[in-house]
Amino acid sequence: MATLTTDVLVIGGGATGAGVAWDAALRGLDVVLVDRGDLAEGTSGRFHGLLHSGGRYAVKDPRAAEECIAENRILRRVAADGIEDTGGFFVTTPWDDPAYADRFAAGCAATGVDCEEIDRAVALKEEPRLNPDVSRVFRVPDASIDVWKTVWALARGAQQRGARVLPYHAAVAIHRDGDRVTGARLRGSRSGEELDVEAGVTVNASGAWAHFIAEMAGIEGVRVLPGRGIMIAMNHRLVNTCVNRCQMPTDGDIIVPIRTVCVIGTTDVHTDDPDDHTVIQSEVDAMLDDGEKLVPGFRRARALRVWTGVRPLFEDAKADSTETRDVTRAHALLDHEQRDGVQGFVTITGGKLTTFRLMAEETVDAVCRHLGEQRACTTSTEPLPGSEEHATYHLGERLERKEQHLSDHQLICECEMVPRWKLEQTMRRRATTNLDDIRRLLRLGMGPCQGGFCIYRATGILHGLDGLTAEQADETLRRFLQERWKGVWPVLYGDQLRQARLDDWIFQGVLGVEHLPA
Amino acid sequence: MRGELHYDAVVIGAGTAGLVAGARLAEAGARVCVLAKGVGSTHLAPGTIDVLGHAPERVSSPGGALEEFAAAHPDHPYAALGAEIVNDSLQWFLERVADGPLAGYRYVGSLERNHVLPTAIGALRPSALVPETMAAGDAQSGSDRVCVVGSRSLRDFHPALCAANLSHAGIAARAVDIEIEVDRADENALGLARRFDDPDWRKGFAARLALKLQADERVGLPAVLGARDPHGVLADLERRLGRRVFEIPTLPPSVPGMRLFEILRSALRRAGGRLVLGAEVVGHDRSSSRVNAVATHAGGRDVHYAAPWFVLAAGGFASGAIELDSSWATHERVLGLPLRGVPDQTEPRFVAEYLAEQPMSRVGVAVDAELRAEGVENVLVAGAALPGAVSWREGSGEGIALASGSHAANLVLAQAGARTGAAA
Repeated sequence: MATLTTDVLVIGGGATGAGVAWDAALRGLDVVLVDRGDLAEGTSGRFHGLLHSGGRYAVKDPRAAEECIAENRILRRVAADGIEDTGGFFVTTPWDDPAYADRFAAGCAATGVDCEEIDRAVALKEEPRLNPDVSRVFRVPDASIDVWKTVWALARGAQQRGARVLPYHAAVAIHRDGDRVTGARLRGSRSGEELDVEAGVTVNASGAWAHFIAEMAGIEGVRVLPGRGIMIAMNHRLVNTCVNRCQMPTDGDIIVPIRTVCVIGTTDVHTDDPDDHTVIQSEVDAMLDDGEKLVPGFRRARALRVWTGVRPLFEDAKADSTETRDVTRAHALLDHEQRDGVQGFVTITGGKLTTFRLMAEETVDAVCRHLGEQRACTTSTEPLPGSEEHATYHLGERLERKEQHLSDHQLICECEMVPRWKLEQTMRRRATTNLDDIRRLLRLGMGPCQGGFCIYRATGILHGLDGLTAEQADETLRRFLQERWKGVWPVLYGDQLRQARLDDWIFQGVLGVEHLPA
Repeated sequence: MRGELHYDAVVIGAGTAGLVAGARLAEAGARVCVLAKGVGSTHLAPGTIDVLGHAPERVSSPGGALEEFAAAHPDHPYAALGAEIVNDSLQWFLERVADGPLAGYRYVGSLERNHVLPTAIGALRPSALVPETMAAGDAQSGSDRVCVVGSRSLRDFHPALCAANLSHAGIAARAVDIEIEVDRADENALGLARRFDDPDWRKGFAARLALKLQADERVGLPAVLGARDPHGVLADLERRLGRRVFEIPTLPPSVPGMRLFEILRSALRRAGGRLVLGAEVVGHDRSSSRVNAVATHAGGRDVHYAAPWFVLAAGGFASGAIELDSSWATHERVLGLPLRGVPDQTEPRFVAEYLAEQPMSRVGVAVDAELRAEGVENVLVAGAALPGAVSWREGSGEGIALASGSHAANLVLAQAGARTGAAA
């Protein structure tokens, strides 16, 4: 069995784990980053895409609000390439307590969240589809963030500094030598091969799965209360600004424009299993009703896809509630040397996407303590690969690039404007046969046709490029179709059902995918 | 401004079923108008006439299997239609192709035996009548190997994957990539078909391809062998290459489907029928058991079309004629007719496995045993608007469309004849 030796082993390739890898690599540490699946396939990749201004927490959780606005300002510089500066509104709809607006404004002032009340008419001019019956509107610096792009930039930055990044490697055992964690055994989920990693410090950054990894290390009492929420992507940017209800945080109170779509979120239901992705019909119905309150006519737009994300809410001693929104959203750093007398093991969980950099900083500070070294964090000033110019992206970028090469760049995914050269480059770079891995990087198949036209094309290209056998290519295609359908059918109605029927005709009527040799 | 036009019959929908109903009514002397929001599924489908391909095992003789299939599926359109009208409508169709606007172009086959044609991914698809341009692709025909030819310039066809799957299924096949210069990188099948219509271009293409071919191979190309003169293109290529050549249907737009549309449209027009595209039916005038007129709004103008008979051939969910709204209620949107096959609100509408049969698949307009819309005495239903079929899985779409379009025409003519007789 192969063995890797490293300073830091990071288990969990979400934003936090990738952030830890980037931070540690910047401090000159040798890093191995692993995930049981693809990077950002768990909670990080399963949210609405909001980079918080802090407004959402201004009344309820002032400390979280302060963290958010500070990190928002930092990430706009160092992770600019994955961020779109959409701005945000908090709006008082007829369903909201009008008294909350003043508390909101005061909360923002107290926590340093930039907030300006604007005229309703100005807001409606900027966002014509916004409910005209809103009574008050506040502008805040919300933004949207492409998590996959950001997490891969973190991983790539770490790799450039020597880190080894191993997606599809699950930790199957944590090695202990007395009071010390010495690394972990990994199993490649594709190769089935096992691999030992000897590490000075092992970081458990597995989020909603943190208790499983802690248990493997023989650590008791790490409890994570998974809170499951659904999000629905609509086929247009019904709004170009992040629109929040101005009220105490609740279900279905935010619409985030991200890339070519907008996402409404979210719900919050306790679940015992972080891998539980059940979508409940009543949640979908409630979410569509909530959409109508912010954007009248919401139900007549096309719902592309629904998914669930599981928040890792760390349970502290006082809360034993199943109402997960009341459990703290703050992150929890457990130094198991202090907590359990176990050296070389640190758990980071809880928190939110917006504060991943801060969580990583605190974690690597703890790692350095374990290693007995003093190394300063530089992630608040060092730009990620691709963000050196500190330029945020804008929606028209892909179209602008395409228009310069209208006649010589084949578009494979027309909805998301993915050209063939980009697809081939990414397939080569990722060396993957899983089109879902490509989807997360390029948004392949994520637009209105949900892969109706591009999946056959992409499968054909992958087959040619990678020398796959016919069976492997067919399996790739079938798996992608199945994965896609999982998020499509619970919200399938209206014109999107027409689209789905066209896709049925293409895959079953024209191509006969169901009759391929199994 | 408002106009009112009077016809003997108004057909709603310009897919295969609507055009067949319209053409057959017109041929019998009826004054017919076909109204449609746009073209139908012809431009998306492979252009073959599928009668019964899977039940659910692959069907070798659709004619032979129809009776048993209908008996096993009493709510299927075939149960109401019967084999005779299917056969009759296929014969009618073959004649219209022969007399059609594409010189020499013909369909081959019969109800006796399904062709087994390769798809663009290399699966096998059974079909009863196929364009002559596809016939040589039949996996059951000949011992010569298959050379699947494509071009990197056409993103909608991947010959290597097609050939690999065919080989996997036991059909000796290999792939050849040939360079084709295109004006723009996202050229589709129709753009290429126009090139193939050009004899000079074709000559150059054949010369380059000939260098890459081996003995004892037939040539499979994406379905782009001419939009105007497919018969001439096929004959020319076969002569130049000295071997059999065939088309493999691929992603929309479908060139063979467009030819099929042209053939049916031409049949309608030659018989004196009228086709109005871009004429979405937005309202109707109805008394208790009859539809008296339908209204379109086009060109800034409301037009009413009154007729004693209406044929509803506007399609199902795919066309938008049947809708599932966001409150999970279903509607027939053209005439507000009741539907059949809708799962109960407490039952699943769809299931989690993509390739399983979906509960919503068999929804259609509720009809009586004669395929008359329930509760309305002068509306006949044809094509994908009918309940009970999952045509893309069964491989039954064109069979149902041809037969139900013909059936609707026959019924209108018989009833009109009976009424005229009674009045006389």
